[in-house]
Amino acid sequence: MRFLEDLWTIALREFLRYRRDRAYVLGQILVPILVVGFIGFGLNPVVAIPGGGTDYLGWLSTGFLVLMLSSGAIGGGFTLIQDREAGFLRAILVAPVSRASIVLGKILSRIAMSVLLVAVLVAIFLPFTPIRLFHPLVSLVALGGLSFAFVSFGVLLATRLRALESYRLIAGLVTVPLYLTSGIFFPVKTMPAALRGLAHANPVTYGVDLFRYGLTGVHELPLPLDATIVLALGALLTVLAVASFDRRSRD
Amino acid sequence: MSADPSPPAVLVRGLVKRYGDVTALDGLDLHVPRGACFGLLGPNGAGKTTAIHILCTLANPTQGLARVLGYDVTRDRAAVRARLGLVFQEASLDRELSARENLDIHARLYHLPDRRRRVEEMLALVDLAADAGRPVRHFSGGMKRRLEIARGLLHAPDVLFLDEPTLGLDIRARRAIWDHLRKIRAGRDLTIVLTTHYLEEADALCDEVAIIDRGRIAACGAPEALKSALGGDVVAIAMDRPEGAEMALRRVEGVSRVTREGDTARVTVAEGARRIPALLDAARPFGIREVHLHRPSLEEVFLRHTGHAFESGAAGGDGSREGAA
Repeated sequence: MRFLEDLWTIALREFLRYRRDRAYVLGQILVPILVVGFIGFGLNPVVAIPGGGTDYLGWLSTGFLVLMLSSGAIGGGFTLIQDREAGFLRAILVAPVSRASIVLGKILSRIAMSVLLVAVLVAIFLPFTPIRLFHPLVSLVALGGLSFAFVSFGVLLATRLRALESYRLIAGLVTVPLYLTSGIFFPVKTMPAALRGLAHANPVTYGVDLFRYGLTGVHELPLPLDATIVLALGALLTVLAVASFDRRSRD
Repeated sequence: MSADPSPPAVLVRGLVKRYGDVTALDGLDLHVPRGACFGLLGPNGAGKTTAIHILCTLANPTQGLARVLGYDVTRDRAAVRARLGLVFQEASLDRELSARENLDIHARLYHLPDRRRRVEEMLALVDLAADAGRPVRHFSGGMKRRLEIARGLLHAPDVLFLDEPTLGLDIRARRAIWDHLRKIRAGRDLTIVLTTHYLEEADALCDEVAIIDRGRIAACGAPEALKSALGGDVVAIAMDRPEGAEMALRRVEGVSRVTREGDTARVTVAEGARRIPALLDAARPFGIREVHLHRPSLEEVFLRHTGHAFESGAAGGDGSREGAA
């Protein structure tokens, strides 16, 4: 019970900060609208998705939601470094609060905000794109697994890096290739063989596929495999993140 | 958990902390009685912050014993954390939240009953009630410090640790913090342990100080006692006809040494202020012109015990070393 209360306190603080940061919230809503609006509508008459089921607009808008979700989620680690630099983290560490509730509070609040963001964007996209609520719960499972994976990855990174700059750099170096080979922008099936190999090795690919299925009914990979990989990845990284934070928060 | 029925607020024996091949603490011993205001005094890098971090469970000792209120800081971590308040050397507030929100989050982390009332009480105590709704990033250095102190006290800790509570503040803000600390102590059963490299701060606030140098205690005691241990105060008396005055002054109680340079006799005496009337009586026949009382400062105490001047600093660990994560 105490654990849950602490978790809520940590999350509450994140929400209070998030609410204050209007520019960030606005950016998170405007960027996907601009990208999907210009690139999606621009390329839609030019690009056809083989196998049918959806057009390019449906493809990109679902994929880009995953990208927004992931980049928001990975920001959880970023705030951890900010907290450390601002000294706030030490104030929490000296409180009688378990390390696990601190990390999980961070992770869950990020996930809550990411899921809320995606929900808002889906609502905005619904009238203009082929997105439909095909199996929203399936998409939610994909969202959950991916968020856990990305926030935890961010936390893992944050427990090892001291500077915000290096965090930005490394997070970018890792996530950009993951995004580009995950079927967010174009299908895996039609990729050149080498790229396709990378896509299959990239766990994000399975999350994108599962998420897209829930909102369009289209998928390229076996769904049980998608779900297994996404959930396993989320669980594994979360356990690692909690353990790493616990270990590294003391010298 | 603690065998001793009334353990001291802080007990440290042979504490060693090494960071790689840097030794920050080199066999530190401390005994802080309950209810005291105890000062850890030393130059930058002497190991003060490291000691505080270990006592607050933020760092593990390499060797040695450290207890807060009888609870071991490595084994009874949770018990220690629940009973201590800590004001860090560097800012540790959430700058994006308001003063009130900062305290509220803290109150929740400590599961305090009657959260709202306590938060408002603390805001009033440090004179921040009027600014409670503003984000902390708009606060001045002194206001932030006061808020940190309020946060350190919010959960009514038994021991409050303050790491350089007035570092970087101007003299007015510093005096305001001292006043607040005195006010806070009054009427509370609170032990305060503070580190400082301002000698006058230790003198103004502490009933007991430990001089820490290169990771160990060089001297410990009440500031007045430490100063008297140097042989006491010096009373300088300038006279019109000084011949023979030394003999008369030596007979006054408490006098340990008398020297004369020209027409001025320098009398080394314990508790100089109290001895002045007797000294004046003895010197009156010789025609007193001027009297000066010079009290040794903690700086001289430091010099005596470490063999080097205070500001020259110390080798050894970097005092501002932080715990990880």
